[in-house]
Amino acid sequence: MSHAVANVDEKEAWSGGQSPFRMSYGKMMMWFFLVSDALTFSGLLSAYGFVRHKYSDAWPAAEDVFTHFPGTHAHLPLFYVGLMTFILIMSSVTMVLAVEAGHRNDKRGVIIWMLLTIIGGFMFVGSQAWEWYNFITGTAEGATRMVWDIDAGKYVSQVVQGANMTVNEYGPAQFANFFFFITGFHGFHVFSGVIINCIIFINVLSGTYERRGHYEMIEKVGLYWHFVDLVWVFVFTFFYLL
Amino acid sequence: MDFSHDNYPQYETMYQHTNEEGKGKRKELWRVFWIMLVITLVELFVGFNATKWGLTGGGLLKWGFIILTLAKAGFIVIKFMHLGHETKFFKYTILLPYGIFIAYLIFIVLVEGTYCSYPENKPKLNPIFMDQKIQNNANHGRSYINKNLNLKMSDGTEAVAKEKPAATHEEH
Repeated sequence: MSHAVANVDEKEAWSGGQSPFRMSYGKMMMWFFLVSDALTFSGLLSAYGFVRHKYSDAWPAAEDVFTHFPGTHAHLPLFYVGLMTFILIMSSVTMVLAVEAGHRNDKRGVIIWMLLTIIGGFMFVGSQAWEWYNFITGTAEGATRMVWDIDAGKYVSQVVQGANMTVNEYGPAQFANFFFFITGFHGFHVFSGVIINCIIFINVLSGTYERRGHYEMIEKVGLYWHFVDLVWVFVFTFFYLL
Repeated sequence: MDFSHDNYPQYETMYQHTNEEGKGKRKELWRVFWIMLVITLVELFVGFNATKWGLTGGGLLKWGFIILTLAKAGFIVIKFMHLGHETKFFKYTILLPYGIFIAYLIFIVLVEGTYCSYPENKPKLNPIFMDQKIQNNANHGRSYINKNLNLKMSDGTEAVAKEKPAATHEEH
């Protein structure tokens, strides 16, 4: 392979000699993937907004649903999701610091910041599991809801505890469906991000990028990780605040 | 592994910098972190107290949250994902297609989602559809009747709805 590309003939610049975007192929493709992924999430959140707007009189306020905090039975709406947001923003900062250390070819810095990012990612996934657990279990007293009885072919009223794909203690079943799908889809992204980070972390430890002479791979996984944080910023607003 | 399009390392190393330059960059990144933390805390504080202050998800509150969210998103994309460093052409390549698609999606969701609520569109709707909608609104997945809903069917009769369903097996 040849690295002598400093003096590219301008006539050949677009035929593979030079990137018109002045960036590497891998990074550009990561950006294009993220755009398509962002469109998916935007579609999901738009659908959520549409249904929520349509049934706004029956839709529960999220701060009446997610009121738990670990280690206490107090009524603390928004505290837990605030903590989750803090964890994810924090891990985004450690990721960008890993990228910065990579720009200085500082292997030790990359190792420390990548490790903190991975820990933050695991903490976030665990927090989400706890949130799901509470949502699925529900409150002790439950609530009376109209439930579709498939044998009788009609709605019957029933005491419902917690939420699943067909019944939801806190409001319409659609609320639970959207919650499970959107936070689940995002949580899956976080999970795969953690796995990818782990793989890259092992590569850093074994010196792959030191031998290569640059840490651009950290930048690429960093893009994905920041995107996960970016999506959470929107999920947090549209699910919990509005 | 060797990919032919990855053979141009001047792009992969063009953002490398010295330890001295790194100090300033780190300082800026932490500054962005503090700004985002403050925005998040403001959002939480307002969200926590909104009902107390008599704000019930009105337009002002909603737009405030959306603007703060977009500010945070901008910080992430420009500073953390370094889109600010890339060429102008690349910025447009990423942002324009996304922006056009999403602007169109939001536009169409708003237009279609509010069609039924405009009085001038009511005569255009199929009365059977409207009856179903009223019946659904009266019954669907809830244990009370919303008095604000117009529960009159197209033939002038009331939509059938239970006041407070009992906890037993009961026809609805």
